Amino acid sequence: MAGVSLTRSALGVLGFLVGVYGAYLLLSRQDFDQLLSAAIWLAGGVVVHDGLIALAALGLAAIGARLLPSVARTPAAAGFVVLGSITILAIPMLGRFGAKDDNATLLDRNYGLGWLGIVVLVVAAVLVASLLRARTSGETGAPDTRTDLEGDPS
Amino acid sequence: MTSKRSSLVVPVPSEGDFTSRLRSPAVAARVGLWLGISFGICFLTGLISHYAQNGNQPIPFPATPFWGYRVTQGLHVISGTAAIPLLLVKLWAVYPKLFQSMPWGDVRAMAVTGLERISIAVLVAGGVFMLLTGLLNTAQWYPWSFSFRPTHYAVAWVTIGALVVHIAVKLPIIRDALTGDVEDTTHDRPSAVETGALSRRGLLRTTWAATGIAVLATAGSTVPFLRNISVLAVRTGDGPQGVPINRSARAAQVTMEEGGAGWTLDVVNGEGVATSWSRGDLEQLTQRTETLPIACVEGWSASAEWTGVRLRDLLDAAGVPTGTDLRMVSLQKRYAFGVTELQGNFADADKTLIALKLNGEDLSLDHGYPARLIAPNRPGVLQTKWLTSVEVI
Repeated sequence: MAGVSLTRSALGVLGFLVGVYGAYLLLSRQDFDQLLSAAIWLAGGVVVHDGLIALAALGLAAIGARLLPSVARTPAAAGFVVLGSITILAIPMLGRFGAKDDNATLLDRNYGLGWLGIVVLVVAAVLVASLLRARTSGETGAPDTRTDLEGDPS
Repeated sequence: MTSKRSSLVVPVPSEGDFTSRLRSPAVAARVGLWLGISFGICFLTGLISHYAQNGNQPIPFPATPFWGYRVTQGLHVISGTAAIPLLLVKLWAVYPKLFQSMPWGDVRAMAVTGLERISIAVLVAGGVFMLLTGLLNTAQWYPWSFSFRPTHYAVAWVTIGALVVHIAVKLPIIRDALTGDVEDTTHDRPSAVETGALSRRGLLRTTWAATGIAVLATAGSTVPFLRNISVLAVRTGDGPQGVPINRSARAAQVTMEEGGAGWTLDVVNGEGVATSWSRGDLEQLTQRTETLPIACVEGWSASAEWTGVRLRDLLDAAGVPTGTDLRMVSLQKRYAFGVTELQGNFADADKTLIALKLNGEDLSLDHGYPARLIAPNRPGVLQTKWLTSVEVI
């Protein structure tokens, strides 16, 4: 057991030192305004995730649990995980925020159409899986009446 | 009064309010394993890329294999992209921990819990920051005022440090979770008992699927055979003369006239003596053709056929000995990397060319007319366009 705790202590110290080196790099190479901007983005990412994305996932899962027939819930939850993460990933491309009018080779696809294609494929997969489940279980599914915080996991 | 006010405020949940049995160490450890692997790949390939761009290299960055940087930087962006769905699911699985109560009263327990929570805050802030800034950088969207490269590099060290601390703290639970069954509940919170729409295996399979789709949808920027299915890739891989560009001549404020009749490429040797060639002179020298990729730090890459003069031939003519570090000077007037360093091992590599043609045609202005550097295993930003002089440092 002493070996295990030694490994963990060594890892902990190593991680701490690596982190301190990173903090030194961060603080020593830029001026105050740049550091302030970096701090805002560091904190902002956590705030946006914990306060917005996580709550939106909870809310959408709760809505799905109430509105969807039971045969559709599992495929819909899986579809939600896929589409949610792909959509977040696609925001910079969909908005074309980095596009430059002197460079036609950057962001040179129709991203709206591409994203829509993924949505159509995932929704079709969810529908097919739901219909297959309905056929095998022979039930049509009743709305869920649970009122707990979580509803369906997303 | 108190009760009335509290009824108006949105209640802050406690850990016990989260009841899904998917929010379990058995799930978090499995997703976390792959998230940790992708962060590790990002970190190592990021170190390679950072070093390759450094002017000062105690150990010279190798000029072989010629496709090396294309692979490492492609892998950097691909594993970072793969980490986005993994991070979202991982944070979902551990979200109740955000509402964990402090062990008030017990000073030692408070210190331990407080330290752990600080390390987690650093890890989450750093992890989200790295993936977000990396993603935006691939799309060349910079809505911030910090400098991307030093900040992305520094926060990488902070994040990896916090990740190693996190692994040290959680090691026994990680080991139990990964060696045990996915349905095991030993380390679950007491309230995490409710079955939902997805099983634990179902959530994990869905996560792997989302990760795979994220990669397939974007990796075509650097993997040629994925170009037709990567509908979210920032580049199709096409462009003038079959190759994308990153910085246009307009952005760099370089005009066709500057590369016209008056232009010469000057090679300045160690004694300060310049030997000059016009474009016509260069065309009279032995022409070589090499197939080399442009591999950008933003993760896109494209292979092309470059024709021109071997740099070593010019250096020999100008009296520059082998193993000499050089300074490559561009006509560009705006943005960084107008002057770059070319280490001796790159200058001497057979594949390193002063390119005059791209895929059989004279270089277009956006690709660096009248002449540009193209060297093996080198970040795209250092493949200096609109060359005007090559100087011994």
